[in-house]
Amino acid sequence: MAAGLTNATGPRFAHASEAELARILDFYQVAWRYEPDVFPISWNASGAVVECFAPDFYLPEIDLYLELTTLKQSLVRKKNRKLRWMRLLYPETRVKLLYARDFRALMLKYGRLDFLHEVLGGNGPSASSRSVTSPRPSKPAA
Amino acid sequence: MTIHDDVQEVLLTEDQIQGRVAELGVELAHDYADRQPVLVSVLKGSIIFLADLIRATELPLAVDLMELSSYGAAMESSGQVRILKDLSGSIEGRDVIVVEDIIDTGLTLNYLLRYLHERSPASIRICCLLDKPARRLTDIDIDYRGFTIPDRFVVGYGLDFDERYRNLSYIGVLRPSVYGGPEPRT
Repeated sequence: MAAGLTNATGPRFAHASEAELARILDFYQVAWRYEPDVFPISWNASGAVVECFAPDFYLPEIDLYLELTTLKQSLVRKKNRKLRWMRLLYPETRVKLLYARDFRALMLKYGRLDFLHEVLGGNGPSASSRSVTSPRPSKPAA
Repeated sequence: MTIHDDVQEVLLTEDQIQGRVAELGVELAHDYADRQPVLVSVLKGSIIFLADLIRATELPLAVDLMELSSYGAAMESSGQVRILKDLSGSIEGRDVIVVEDIIDTGLTLNYLLRYLHERSPASIRICCLLDKPARRLTDIDIDYRGFTIPDRFVVGYGLDFDERYRNLSYIGVLRPSVYGGPEPRT
């Protein structure tokens, strides 16, 4: 699902960790888009798409997709599998998976341990993104 | 109890660091022969590396320092990185070497490079002591690299946790219990 880009309200993030990553990117003035593209990765016998992968973020300045995985291990396995297919089917597309340990390290680096415990203590609340905007215009994804 | 007690493992010894810094100094002296580069460093983590690096080369160099606000520390402010201390002098037409202690996500350096390029230097190269590529979120070409390190939380030789451990003479992995993380299984 493609979410809104820079506007008054911003996208509605699926997880608080995504909103936090968006705030970090905003802080350092790195342009981003939230779930701008959907990549089919599985088709049925009649050719209909049955499974897709929609990376959480796209960083247009470096042409990189980011997928944030801070949830349950079963979901991590599912995302790993999707990522394998993604890399096989779209080898030219750069995708980076940020695991829970990566997000934890980021929060540690920025002294955001309270937020970390809040988010990773449970599944984390869905976050409104009212304070999050992409700082610069983004070109459409190729 | 000393700061050494909070170090789980020494990743790079003082000798290893000093040896590599000396090599970097020679490389810079060779590449910048007959030039007078400006070494720009970002407070505070880079100061010890910078201090050793400039003494490892005999180039007629200049030094300048900047300080940028950090994400976590600025949560209550504008929400965008701010320059807390700007360059003291002009870099227009100068050969600039950015001296960094560690490049992790690359977000700070990415911002800094954009800022420096707007000041029309003749060239910009990057010299970092530690390259931690695991979580890189930017494309950055590192010209001079001390060490590539694994994805561990390191302190010492200028690098801090909560403003501590900068004065360690080596690079160590911080014990996870110090920051509330799980201890590794033995």
